[in-house]
This record gives sequence, C-alpha cells and structure tokens, in this order.
Amino acid sequence: MRQVPDRVGGRMEKSFERTFDSLDDIFQFIESFLQTESSDPGLLHDVNFAVEELFTNMVKYNPTGPPEIELGLSFIDGDLSVSLTDRETEPFDVTQAPPVDIHRPIEERKPGGLGLHLVKKVVDSLEYRHARGTTTIKFSKNLR
Amino acid sequence: MLEIGVGEQGEIVVTGRLDAAQTENAQKFLDTIAGSAVLDCAGLDYVSSAGLGVLLKTQKRLMEAGGGLKLVNVNPHIHNIFRYSGFDHIFEIEPASG
Repeated sequence: MRQVPDRVGGRMEKSFERTFDSLDDIFQFIESFLQTESSDPGLLHDVNFAVEELFTNMVKYNPTGPPEIELGLSFIDGDLSVSLTDRETEPFDVTQAPPVDIHRPIEERKPGGLGLHLVKKVVDSLEYRHARGTTTIKFSKNLR
Repeated sequence: MLEIGVGEQGEIVVTGRLDAAQTENAQKFLDTIAGSAVLDCAGLDYVSSAGLGVLLKTQKRLMEAGGGLKLVNVNPHIHNIFRYSGFDHIFEIEPASG
C-alpha cells in the first residue's frame, strides 16, 4: 500500500491490499477526502457502503489478482466521482447484476446476493469497463 | 472497528461498523444469543451487505425457535439500507429519535 496518497487538484488515489482488512484504511481515506468538501454524514455513509461492496467483490472474485486494488476519488463539476480499478480480471459487468426480489419471506432468504442491488440504490450512476484484463468500476454521487 | 456486548438492561449493544472484516466476530457473539433480544444500534455507524447476512442468519435461527431480534435506535442511513433490502419486513425496527 502506498503510504502517501496522490492528490492532484480535487483528486486522490491510493492502492489498497487485496484483503478485507484494508477496509478500515479505506474508510479513513474516504473520510479524509470528503471532509474537505462535504460534512454530509449521508454522503460519507453511502460512499463507504458502495466502495466496500465493490472492493470486497474484487477481493472475493479475483483472489489471485495483483496484491493491490486502486481507489480514486475526485470532484467533477460539484459531483463526487469514485473509481475502483482491478487488474488480471475476468469480465463481470456489475451494472447487469440480476435483480433481487426483496419481498420474499424470511424462510426463502439467504445471506448474500444483496451487495450490487444495494450499490445501485445508494449511488447516482454506475459504470463498468473491462479492457485488456483490467476492470474499472466508476460511480458518482450528486452533491447538489 | 466493531464492538459488541451485553448492556446494563440485557440488551445487545453494538458500536462501530458492521462491515465485511467484522462479520466473523459479530457472528461468533450473536451465535450465543437465544430467545428474543434487543439490539441497540445507537452507536452503530454502518452495516454492509456482509453485516446484513450476519443479522439475517441470526434472525432466522432465533425465529425458528420462536424468538427474534428487535433493532432499536437505528440511524436513518442504516434504516435506508434495511428498507432497500426488504429487511424492514424481516426485523422489527425502531428508528433513532431526532
């Protein structure tokens, strides 16, 4: 993990080890970036949530990938843009994840399968790109 | 980080973040709970889908035995996640006041 995040204008990037144990560092990184632009606890919550879901999916489904996953945060025209980049990946379009029936009774529900459904609920846009083995997922939050 | 334990009134008190790195500890504690229980979420900042899985597994086990978890002092952000998941129909939820 790079110890000093790169900050260029309104953008910060940092790479995190491919492990769930990176989450505390990720949350600190997000909070330190957002506090310069927004004190909205709802924004912090939703960004943490979406990043955790996408990051942990990369950890789970690409366990033999490179040691680190990149996270980038930027403000563009007043909106927050977040990107996660993973390499040596197989294609999996997160925007095309099947819908979840949230009305099933508890007897028919099992842990898991909600992450991408919930990401779509808390972000304002979600984009997926896969090229030459590299997956880039971007999402945005409208701050206005 | 996450802390989970039993409060003065016998309620379960959970503080911090129930994220994917904390599910093992949370599940280990919740597996010791029997019957009906109150989960005080006043200090809970965050629940991810991994955390929802822990709560669902616990709720299923308790309900099969005639009990269940009631969540109290749930902040609006976490409450939204429960609504988006349909978990507001699976758990009795008391939102945080104010």
